[in-house]
Amino acid sequence: MKHDPMLEVRGLRKGFGGVLAVDDASFDVGRGSITGLIGPNGAGKTTVFNLVSGFLRADRGTISFDGRRIDRRPAHVVARAGLVRTFQIPRVLTRMTVLENVMLAGRHQPGEVLGASLFAPRLVARREREVRDQAIEILKLIRLIRLADDYAGTLSGGQRKLLEFGRALMTEPRMVLLDEPMAGVAPPLALQLLEHVLDLRTRRGTTFCIIEHDMEAVMAICDRIVVMDEGRVIAEGLPAEIQGNERVIEAYLGRHGEGAAGDTAVRAEP
Amino acid sequence: MEIFNLSFWTFVGVIAGIYTIFALGLYVQDALTGLPNFGHVAFMALAAYAMAILIVRWQVSLLLAASAGLLVAVAFGILLGVPSLRLRADYLAIVTVAGGEMVRYFVLNLQDLTGGALGSIGMLGPGNLAQYNTAWDNFLTPITAALAPISGSLASRDFAMFLIVWGTALVVMLALWLMVRSPWGRLLRSIREDEAAAEALGKNVFGYKLQVLMLGGILGGLAGLLLAWEIGVFSPDDYQPTITFYAYLILILGGTTRLWAVPAGAVLFGVLYSGTRFLNFFPLSLIDSGERAYLRLMIVGLLLIVLMAVRPQGLFGNRKELLLK
Repeated sequence: MKHDPMLEVRGLRKGFGGVLAVDDASFDVGRGSITGLIGPNGAGKTTVFNLVSGFLRADRGTISFDGRRIDRRPAHVVARAGLVRTFQIPRVLTRMTVLENVMLAGRHQPGEVLGASLFAPRLVARREREVRDQAIEILKLIRLIRLADDYAGTLSGGQRKLLEFGRALMTEPRMVLLDEPMAGVAPPLALQLLEHVLDLRTRRGTTFCIIEHDMEAVMAICDRIVVMDEGRVIAEGLPAEIQGNERVIEAYLGRHGEGAAGDTAVRAEP
Repeated sequence: MEIFNLSFWTFVGVIAGIYTIFALGLYVQDALTGLPNFGHVAFMALAAYAMAILIVRWQVSLLLAASAGLLVAVAFGILLGVPSLRLRADYLAIVTVAGGEMVRYFVLNLQDLTGGALGSIGMLGPGNLAQYNTAWDNFLTPITAALAPISGSLASRDFAMFLIVWGTALVVMLALWLMVRSPWGRLLRSIREDEAAAEALGKNVFGYKLQVLMLGGILGGLAGLLLAWEIGVFSPDDYQPTITFYAYLILILGGTTRLWAVPAGAVLFGVLYSGTRFLNFFPLSLIDSGERAYLRLMIVGLLLIVLMAVRPQGLFGNRKELLLK
């Protein structure tokens, strides 16, 4: 899998003022893999997501998606290429309905061209019906269908995460970046979300890269794990390898040896 | 003046129609897409000035001059948008105020071209009264004449204008209504709600914002042309920032998220604004008419405050939407 990367990050660097949020980070995400991106708070994980998805521009380094360079590309171009992200704090469109939120993400909608609804109403309406059906399917999948006509602003935090996930699916992505998909989501919903991730990988071969602090979940579903600390990638490997890695334990517990009982650090919390 | 003076109310109706078109431009920008534009009046000014200058100085035909006027307004939209659309809404608001005022100061000071403070009548220099409206009036005359047998005593230049203005407003509203309900409208609303989310879903947010400013330019410019034709003369003073605020008032009165609330807001605004001139009964009659004009503005303001207190969502707004975060 290592030799067929979907995403290749090389020498990535990003500073904010004097602080280097990402410092020479390099890692791969294998095609069809579920890769975990973990590390203590402030390690630079979300900044990596922002760089990869085109929301920030790197100071240095390259990012390739499916063999093509995507650094220097604006975010919407990256998304159109099939690399879609979610946000740590879900960004739902509050004064639009849940259904509209998902429908917005539909691909190839000619009706998004200015004036298309005036000059080619049939074409627009036909695609709109397909998009609606597809959106309803997704809402059934993430079990928000009974809230389809409610304003997204009335959803709970967990439901918003699900909605954002559903919206990402609607774009028919080849790879999804999930930023803490389970934080704040009620356990049964979170479990559901993990099932969808696994299911999509199996059925469509979708690649996932997931930032998550819930170690139990990360260890359970990730094929590979990339560990960051202070902007650098400090370890990369199989979950089992990572769990025993000295540097990783050190990163989580501090590096002065005070937290000597480090071996429980990255183990699953009960 | 009599309160039931029909020609007066026809005039009010024409102005309300023009303001409807003007406010629809703002509706697309601010209410739909979330782009505040406090310099919307600049579109009005630019279209009117470009049209009048072309006619007065170079005898360009009316249709060509009008199209050029709209084009100039659209070009200004692009000019304003390219450097500033990446700003957050509050900063964008500041830039648009400045943009609108720059236009006004430019036309005030480019005297040789614009007639300076004198406005349209000074466009050909001192002692040479400029008149841009002949072609438009020639266009109106046969229409007025044709209307006479049907509308009898109503037939007047203003009545013809009334039909043209509201006909235009209706066509614009219908087109916008179809567009707002389409995926294009949904996309604009998503930019209003959270542009990062739209961008993350593969939508070219910057491109759409630019489209919206251009569309705002067309509608603002159209209103500018109609107003210039209706009044027959204009000066930089007619394009004070207040005009933009009137358009905002209209949106707020009607309820900002409803397209059909815009004409209702415009009519209500027209009636409030003009109707207060009939407040000439006791005890208001004790104040002389010049001072009553100021009182009028105060009463309009007071009514607005009351309306906002009682119905913050506007006449036709949706209160539920107001509460969502």
